[in-house]
Amino acid sequence: MARTLAMFTDTSLCIGCRACQVACKQWNELGLELPEWTGTYQNHTHFTDKTFRLVRFIEEPKPSGDLAWLLMSDVCKHCADAGCLNACPTGAIYRTQFGTVNINQDVCNGCRYCVSACPFGVVSFNENTGTAKKCTFCNDRIHNGLGPACAKACPTESIQFGFRDELVGRAQKRVETLKAMGFKDAQLYGADSSGFLGGLNAFFLLLSKPSTYGLPENPKLPQKNIFVDSLLSIGSALLVGIGALVAFRQRGTGGEA
Amino acid sequence: MSLSRRDFLKFGSATAAGVAVAGEALDLAPVEAAATSLKIKEAKAVRSVCPYCAVGCGQLIYAKDGKIIDIEGDPDTPHTLGRLCPKGAATIQLSNNPLRPTKALYRAPGSDTWEEKPLDWMYDQIARRYYDAREKHFIEKEKNKDGLAVTVNRLDAIASLGSACADNEECYLLSKLNRTFGIVYHEHQARV
Repeated sequence: MARTLAMFTDTSLCIGCRACQVACKQWNELGLELPEWTGTYQNHTHFTDKTFRLVRFIEEPKPSGDLAWLLMSDVCKHCADAGCLNACPTGAIYRTQFGTVNINQDVCNGCRYCVSACPFGVVSFNENTGTAKKCTFCNDRIHNGLGPACAKACPTESIQFGFRDELVGRAQKRVETLKAMGFKDAQLYGADSSGFLGGLNAFFLLLSKPSTYGLPENPKLPQKNIFVDSLLSIGSALLVGIGALVAFRQRGTGGEA
Repeated sequence: MSLSRRDFLKFGSATAAGVAVAGEALDLAPVEAAATSLKIKEAKAVRSVCPYCAVGCGQLIYAKDGKIIDIEGDPDTPHTLGRLCPKGAATIQLSNNPLRPTKALYRAPGSDTWEEKPLDWMYDQIARRYYDAREKHFIEKEKNKDGLAVTVNRLDAIASLGSACADNEECYLLSKLNRTFGIVYHEHQARV
C-alpha cells in the first residue's frame, strides 16, 4: 500500500469563498441544486448526492459580546475505521491504495446501509443512478498524479493535500502558532490516528470546540451498538414473554374463582 | 469428460496452490490505476486567462473532440499558482451550459414580452439604431467658453459598456469602433 494520502483543512485560513465547492461540482460534474436562504451565507445546508464539499458558515458569540465568524470547508473524512465501508454488504465501498474510501458505482446496489452508518452524514443516495455517492478525494485525479480539485482551487491554501504523516506534523505546528497568537481553543480534529475512528484522512484545524462546527465530539460507528442492542432486544423479548405468561395465568385463575 | 477421484484431487490441489501463490504476489494497485481513467488525459490543454476580473488568473482549458471538457487554474501562473476563485472555477459554464439562451431574444420598447428574432434581423436593427442615433445627436462643433466654435465631433447619445469576457483584441476593436463614432462614454465593467 502506498503512503496514505490525506487532506488537511485549516479553518483558520478559510475565507469562505467556496472555490472548493465550485471546483468540486465542476470536476465531478455534479450539477445544479437550488440554493436556499437560511439566514447565513451557507449554501447548501448539508451534504447531498450533488454536494461533496460544503463550506459551513458559523456564528459563535464571543465572551466580549462580538460574534466570531467561523468558516469551515467540510468534506468526507475518509475515516481509517469507516462506518460506510464496514456496513457495505456488496463490497462496493472499498479502501484504495492511498487509504481513501471510494464507492464503486458499478457494484453499489443502493441499499443505503452506508448512509445510516456514516457518523458525519456524508454519504448520500442518488435517486437517478440508484447508488450511494460521496466525495472520492477525486479518485481519478489522485490515481493519475493530480491533487483533488478542491485543494487545487483553494486560494488561501486552507485545504492542503499530501501525505498524511507530513500534514499532521504541519498541522501540529500550526496549532502551536495559533495558540501563541491567542486562539486558545485551536485544536486538531481527527489528526490523531490513535483517536476516534482510527483517525480521519481528512482532518481539520478548528478554532473552537467541534460541536460548534456541528461535528460530533467523539464520533462512534452505529455498528458498535449492535451487540448491546441485540442483548437488550433479547432481554426485552424475554421480559414480554414472562409478562404475557403471568398475565394469562392471572386471568385463568380469575375465571375459575 | 470423465474425471477420476485421483485426477480431481490432483487438479484441485494444484489450482488451490496456484491461487495461493498468485494471491501473495498479486498487487492490485496498478490494475486499479489503469482502471481509473482521467477524463482530461487525452485532451488538448490550452493556456488562457480567466475572463472575469482584472486579476487575470491563468487557466488551462482542456478540449477534446472540439468541445471544452474542463477548465482549471494554470499552476505556471506566477501570481496564482493554479488557484481560482469560485467564479473562475465555474468558467466552463460560459461554454457548456444548458441554461444559457441560444437564440436571439428581442423586447420592443414598452413591451413586457420577449420574442425570438433571427440573428440577421438583430444585426440590422443594431446597425440601424446606431446610425439613427448618431445622425440625430452628433455634435460636430461646440462653442467653448470664449464663444468660439470648436470642432468636437462628439456623440453623447450612446454609451458603451465593455465586458470583462471580451479579450484584448475584442477590446481593441470596440475602442476603435467607439472612437470612430465619437462615443465618449466608454466604460468597462471591471472599472465600475
